[in-house]
Amino acid sequence: MNIGTRKILDRSFTAVGIGSIVVMALALMIVVVPIVYNGIGAVFFTGTVEHRKMLHAEFKRGDSQDLSSEVASSNRYRAKVYDMLTGFEADLETMAPEKKAEYQAKYSQVRTALQALLGPLPGDPEPMLTRFKYGQTRWEKAEEKLHDLLYESKWDNSNPNVMSKEYFVSRAIGFEGTSLARLFPYIKDNLENMLLPEFTFYWGFITDSSVDSHFFGGIWPEIQGTFFLAIGAMLFAFPLGVVAAVYFTEYAKPGFLNSMLRSANSTLAGVPSIVFGMFGLAFFINTMKVSESKSVIAGALTLAIMILPTIIRAAEEAILAVPKTYREASLSLGSTKWNTIATVILPAALPGILTGGVISLGRAAGETAPIIFTAAVSVGSAIGLADVFSSPTPALSWNIYNLASEHEAATQIRHVQYGMVLALVTIVLLLNLSAIVLRARISKKLKG
Amino acid sequence: MAEESVGERNRSNAFVVSARKRALQKVAKKAGEGMLFSVAFFVAVIVLFIFYFVARDAIPFFQIRGFSEFFTSSNWYPADEPGEFGALAIIYGSLMVTLGSAMIAVPMGVAAAICLSDILPFSIRQYAKPVIEMLAAIPSVAFGFFALVVLAPLMQDHGGPMLMWGWWILVSPFLLLSVIVISDLLTANIKDEKRRQQRHWMLLIVLGLSSIFLLFKVGSVLNGIQILTGTNALNVSIILSFMALPTIVSVSEDALQAVGRDIREGSYALGATRAETIIKTILPAASSGILAAVILGIMRALGETMVVWMASGNSSHIPEPWFNYLEAIRTLTATIAGDMGEADQVTGSARFHVLFAMGLLLLIISFISNLVSERIVVRQRKILSGQ
Repeated sequence: MNIGTRKILDRSFTAVGIGSIVVMALALMIVVVPIVYNGIGAVFFTGTVEHRKMLHAEFKRGDSQDLSSEVASSNRYRAKVYDMLTGFEADLETMAPEKKAEYQAKYSQVRTALQALLGPLPGDPEPMLTRFKYGQTRWEKAEEKLHDLLYESKWDNSNPNVMSKEYFVSRAIGFEGTSLARLFPYIKDNLENMLLPEFTFYWGFITDSSVDSHFFGGIWPEIQGTFFLAIGAMLFAFPLGVVAAVYFTEYAKPGFLNSMLRSANSTLAGVPSIVFGMFGLAFFINTMKVSESKSVIAGALTLAIMILPTIIRAAEEAILAVPKTYREASLSLGSTKWNTIATVILPAALPGILTGGVISLGRAAGETAPIIFTAAVSVGSAIGLADVFSSPTPALSWNIYNLASEHEAATQIRHVQYGMVLALVTIVLLLNLSAIVLRARISKKLKG
Repeated sequence: MAEESVGERNRSNAFVVSARKRALQKVAKKAGEGMLFSVAFFVAVIVLFIFYFVARDAIPFFQIRGFSEFFTSSNWYPADEPGEFGALAIIYGSLMVTLGSAMIAVPMGVAAAICLSDILPFSIRQYAKPVIEMLAAIPSVAFGFFALVVLAPLMQDHGGPMLMWGWWILVSPFLLLSVIVISDLLTANIKDEKRRQQRHWMLLIVLGLSSIFLLFKVGSVLNGIQILTGTNALNVSIILSFMALPTIVSVSEDALQAVGRDIREGSYALGATRAETIIKTILPAASSGILAAVILGIMRALGETMVVWMASGNSSHIPEPWFNYLEAIRTLTATIAGDMGEADQVTGSARFHVLFAMGLLLLIISFISNLVSERIVVRQRKILSGQ
């Protein structure tokens, strides 16, 4: 090869390496940015009067006088809509039967779209589910529903070779010549007056419990459940892990037994997380019967087993990183081995051990598979501390899955899902960030 | 006076330990050590328990249904009466996404590790490491959510153009590079300098044009592809590769760092460029460590649950043709997670035990690969330390 080609190869080799690191950073950005952007939208958004009505009715929050004046002003604009509806209903009665049937079908679609937009119409029975008691609480959702009201969605199946395409037909044209035709431009022009959008900072998203399976309200039960599970797992795993690490670094003698124990440790680290879940179900719940069925304690124990190897490894590294001089100085002062470990080595290694603990805490908080069969429940309120031995809990990680994949109206509550993902990612990344900062400070300190 | 002497006597007594006290101390020390050992031993007990309890619920399945159906049939109808429990398609789905993610993550991860250990200056490396750690820290369910809510609709709506751009960005640099290298290699033996130059340029132009033609041709074919479902094997493979990357990078970086400076410097002294040094000397020396890294990364992809459960489509069939990554698949982990709820607690039914059989399969695979990678690392350390 001539030297020019070799140089090109060398450069491109460097470029590939740097490129793959850039791709990794980009991957992180691509995943995190939409989550952060949309997740913030769960707390900061343009809320409508329906949101304030809901807050007042469900959480007793907000000023009732302000609210009633707002409701009154929005009702003034809505009244005209309702008048048009009653007017059209009267017209329907006078129409010829076949025309009446044709309009009746279209009209009931309009009514449904209006109910979704503004909440129950006058004369409707009181809805059973809370989700139908209010109109759209978020302005961007209201705009979507307005579009649903103004246009009928149809699918073009004419060409069997390509996927059918969606197209929209204006409903106003369908009602041309009737008294209802005026309704569409009126709503389009006056939607702001009917819903009174206003910038909202809904801090309750973090602290409220959910209403009607996350249609309204916040995610406090999930956040609390995540904390219970992660901290519970740490309570079991951290002391055990540190003690085991002390054994491995200070007492273990090389030999068959020791290498077997180390193999066991790395095997445990490599077990797929779902298998931990199965083990938790088969052992803690079905065999040990720590609880009747799923419970926080069973989930915490399962998670503890999962994070144990990580803690052991981190603690071992931290203990080994303590300079030899510390140990020698302590021993030369006549203190025993045990005394040296307890008063010199462990305090010096503590920040490093804590770093590992913090990272493991993040892992326990974010893991889903082990708690599916052992601790997680889809809907539920926040549980008390006394219930951890008997009752399951909602948790962020599980509920993200549940809301995104199994919820009956998953696409309508995307903002809640994003908010949950953001909450979980924030918790985990903050823990990791603090670990990174902690580690940087330790390495500075150990360098002197 | 008298008080002082008493004090002195006491002080001197403090160093004289009675035989009984010494024996007591010894016992206490032994007991403490024993306690520490029993905690360390606890980990091994847990591993045994995991194997025992998963196997205990897995074996009844093979007793009821035998081995052949599970591994050879792809009819997965566990809810039917009588049910069918052919897991071939599910095992195949697991292998497919694992292989797919390895194809993305292994070259990228090894390249990034090389870059971190040998190319980048320390100041930049400091910022690259936290990025990798953050990528490792993001919970799997967040990745799954991203795959389901962001990536899947994107693939469904703009699948063709996305594939085309992916092809262009990934393949074009390598194709052009290989054109340069191949034309150089083919003309290297020609002695006459002028003729060699001529041939070189001719080859460059011919190969370059044909490769550009190839790029466009394949690109336009890819552009025309309609992805029917965004929740497919490709989507999952991409996301799993993100998740396997941090493991591969950090473990193979350790392996590369373990290769001593002397080997590098020897190679540079012989006139090799940095790329040649890395490829011809450092990579072979670190190869076993990198292999261990790859195994660990692959295991992370194989054992991952949430991403595949949310974004693989969960359809139990072998794609047509077998390498079609644009079809929905189903994996072992997702099947366990998804079916356990319905089969829950019905011990004795094949439907419950088949899930444990799958878990046992995963457990055995992970155990073996862990053992292998550990052996490899130990051996490499021995070789490098010259023993």
